[in-house]
Amino acid sequence: MSEATTTVHAEPEHSPFLQHHFQGMGQQFDASKIGMWLFLVTEVLLFGGLFVGYAIMHAKHPEAFMQAHHHLSRPLGTLNTVVLLVSSFTMVMAVWSAQTSKRKLLILFLSLTLLLACVFLVVKGFEYNHKFEEGLLPGKFYTHQGDTVPGQFMFFSFYFMMTGLHGIHVLAGMGAISWLLRRALRGDFSSVYFGPVDLVGLYWHLVDMIWIYLFPLMYLIS
Amino acid sequence: MEHIGVREDIEATDAHAHPVTGPRTYALILLVLLVLTAVTVTAAGINFGPYNTVIALIIASLKASLVALFFMNLRHDKLSAVIFVSGLLFLAVFLIFTLFDINTRTPLFPDNLKEPVKEFPGAPLNKPIQPSTGTAPAGS
Repeated sequence: MSEATTTVHAEPEHSPFLQHHFQGMGQQFDASKIGMWLFLVTEVLLFGGLFVGYAIMHAKHPEAFMQAHHHLSRPLGTLNTVVLLVSSFTMVMAVWSAQTSKRKLLILFLSLTLLLACVFLVVKGFEYNHKFEEGLLPGKFYTHQGDTVPGQFMFFSFYFMMTGLHGIHVLAGMGAISWLLRRALRGDFSSVYFGPVDLVGLYWHLVDMIWIYLFPLMYLIS
Repeated sequence: MEHIGVREDIEATDAHAHPVTGPRTYALILLVLLVLTAVTVTAAGINFGPYNTVIALIIASLKASLVALFFMNLRHDKLSAVIFVSGLLFLAVFLIFTLFDINTRTPLFPDNLKEPVKEFPGAPLNKPIQPSTGTAPAGS
C-alpha cells in the first residue's frame, strides 16, 4: 500500500495529492470542477455544430433521411442506448464508492464501466461493418444501389461523422477510466481525494447525454 | 487487503461538503432512464404525424436532464449548472437562428434559370452531386 492511503486520514489538509497552490482539498476540487465544466461546454458546442448541420439537412430533405434511416438496426441502437445508460450508472456508483472510500467497490464499478464501454464499441463495430458491406458510406463513397429517394448519402455522412466523433469520445473515456482504474488499484482515492473520479464521471455522463440525443435523431425518425 | 474505513458521520464533511447521493437514488434514476428509453422506442412506432420528432426530442431532453441533475449532480452544484446552461443557451441561439433562416428564406434563382434548381440536378439517383455552379444542367 502506498503512503498515500496511510497519511490521508491523519491530516486531510496535507494530502499528498494537494497541489501547493491550493489552500485545501476542497478548493482544489472546486477549481478543477470549474475547469471540467468549461471543457464540457466546449464539447457541447463541438457536437452542436454537427447537430445544427443535421437539423438543416433533415429539414431540407426529410424523405431522404426517413428512407435512409431504415438501413439502421433499431434493436442494436436500443441495445447500445441501454448499455450506455447502465455504464453511466456504474460510473456514478464508482464516484460514490470513491466519495465513501470503498476501494474494492470503486475498482469493481470502474471495471464494469470499462466493460460496458467495450460492449458499446463492439456493437457499434458490427453496425458499421454492416453499413460498409452495403456501401452505405458517407459522401462520395456511397455506393448503395436501389435507392428510391435521392440524397440518402447525406444521412450517412451525418451518421458516420456524429456517431464516429461520439465513438472517439467513448475511446477517450475508456482511456481515462483505465487510468482511474490503475490509480484506484494503487489506492490513491478516498473521501479526501476523489476529484479525478468525479471529473471523468462528468465527462462520461456527457458522452452518454450526447448519445441520448443521437439515438432518436438517427434510429427513430418517423 | 487493507480496507480504508471511513466512519459514516464524517463522510459528508470529507467529501468536500457536498452532500453524497446514495446508490438507491442512482438506481432509481437508472430505472427511470430505461423506462423512458422504452417509451421513446414505443412512441417512434406510433404515427403522431409531425409530432413524432417533437415527442422524441422531449423524451431525450427529459433523460438528459435526469443525467445532468442526478448523475452529474447539478442540482447541488449551482456554479457548474450556470456554466453548463449558459453553454446550452449559446447552442440554442446557434440552432434557433439557423432554423429561422432556413424556414423563412425564399428560393433565390440564378439569372439564367426560370425555375428553382431541382434537388440534385442531373445526378444519378444514388450518387452525390457536385456543388452547384449556378448554371442550368445540360438538356434543360
